Amino acid sequence: METDAPPTARLLDLIREEFGLIGTKEGCGEGECGACSIFVNNSLQNSCLIPIGAIAGAEIQTIEGLMETEQFKILDESYSECGGVQCGYCIPGMVMASAALLSENPNPTDAEIREGISGNLCRCTGYNMIVDAVELAAKKGEVVCQKK
Amino acid sequence: MPEKITAYRFDYLDETLSQLNKEDCAIVAGGTDVMVLHKSGRGVPPKIPKPVVFIDHLSELKRVYQKDKDLHIGSCSTYGELLENPLIPIALKNAIKTIAAPAIRNRGTLGGNICNASPAGDTLPLLYVYNAKLLLRSVNGDRVVAISDFIQAPRRIGRNHNEILAEIILPSVLEEGSHVVFEKIGNRNADAIAKVSFAGYIRISNERIDDIRFAFGAVGPTMVRSIDIEKKLLGKPFPLSETDIDSIVADFDQIIRPIDDQRSTAVYRKTVALNLLRYFLNTSQYQPN
Ligand SMILES: Cc1cc2nc3c(=O)[nH]c(=O)nc-3n(C[C@H](O)[C@H](O)[C@H](O)COP(=O)(O)OP(=O)(O)OC[C@H]3O[C@@H](n4cnc5c(N)ncnc54)[C@H](O)[C@@H]3O)c2cc1C
Ligand code: FES
Ligand code: FES
Repeated sequence: METDAPPTARLLDLIREEFGLIGTKEGCGEGECGACSIFVNNSLQNSCLIPIGAIAGAEIQTIEGLMETEQFKILDESYSECGGVQCGYCIPGMVMASAALLSENPNPTDAEIREGISGNLCRCTGYNMIVDAVELAAKKGEVVCQKK
Repeated sequence: MPEKITAYRFDYLDETLSQLNKEDCAIVAGGTDVMVLHKSGRGVPPKIPKPVVFIDHLSELKRVYQKDKDLHIGSCSTYGELLENPLIPIALKNAIKTIAAPAIRNRGTLGGNICNASPAGDTLPLLYVYNAKLLLRSVNGDRVVAISDFIQAPRRIGRNHNEILAEIILPSVLEEGSHVVFEKIGNRNADAIAKVSFAGYIRISNERIDDIRFAFGAVGPTMVRSIDIEKKLLGKPFPLSETDIDSIVADFDQIIRPIDDQRSTAVYRKTVALNLLRYFLNTSQYQPN
């Protein structure tokens, strides 16, 4: 994709405003809440902290891209079954972080799950349901290691 | 229309250095400090007051290699990359693991932590006790400085505008027999900025102290380390006597001057710092690592 946006523009703004992909959210705008999480060359990063000039030529995947994967289906089911979604604002970022974790570590312990989502704030759930959801996804998954 | 923004992203370090020689630029590595510092808000690019030069894609700044017993770390290595690298000492990995969360660790760089020169930079106490040297590169060639001379004050470093921090060198770190620890007291979550941090290094031979170093973070404008105090312990029998430990703790009590801020109080910081020191000096079982 190409853009005329200035090189210091935030990747988050490009994704939401120019490309209209509004699954990626803005919470804090300073790296602390994880609502803006995306993959840059398959690595989990905060799009609010990335000037687009720094990542020219990189491959970006947002939650919309992840939604087309088998991994997402499993995570989605698990989040619903565990009641991991309340207002939903944190969820796209939370799911990106969960996917990143499971791709690297298909069988995480409770502590590893908490560490994996430690950059994602949720005001509603108190995290336990989310941790359960990731654990369930790991069980359902075994599959989940192949990331697109 | 927004005002014009100048930014450079060259394929090679040489071209980058030439540009820096012509023009004073804002260097952006991972951008995790720069983007927060100059944040402007939704839909508006951050207001960075100088032309920007991106460097974190340069493979020349990402190499990690051993040369004799020294470890050379490319400044633009991200925390995530260093955690995966078998050459990186365990103590440094432990410090890195306390930094923020995975997504920040996938962008933030070691060079950025040094050049940002925050009193709470989590890799800094360890880099001080490793006697880290910094390789600064410019069109005029290379220059090597000690980290303790490079970092001058919060956000102030001894870099000429035509220089890039290219490598962090940890002298003799791959030598056997030293024991190194890192401790950080803070809140455990993504906003885990240190209230107090501590790094200690000790090498024993024939039951005497051969080498000992310690440094504190977040208790002053820069890391606090005193080579004079360390020297008093050289050659002392190990484990240390109560009297020796008391006298070292008393010496540090004189030089640590923490401040109150939103994260913690001065009294708390000082108490914790001295406890961490006492604990380190008291340990009688060292695992060389
Ligand atoms: C949410 C959040 C949590 C954080 N948590 C922690 C934490 O727990 N502990 C901690 O220590 N830090 C933390 N940080 C701070 C930051 O992530 C680190 O300091 C990181 O190492 C900065 O690296 P960077 O590459 O992103 O730096 P950048 O933002 O790119 O640069 C920082 C400064 O260094 C200069 N610079 C960078 N590289 C070079 C170079 N090679 N040569 C010359 N100048 C250079 C830049 O010009 C700039 O002034 C956190 C940041 C955020 C946003
Ligand atoms: S909006 Fe990017 S981390 Fe909060
Ligand atoms: S579900 Fe509301 S913020 Fe997480």
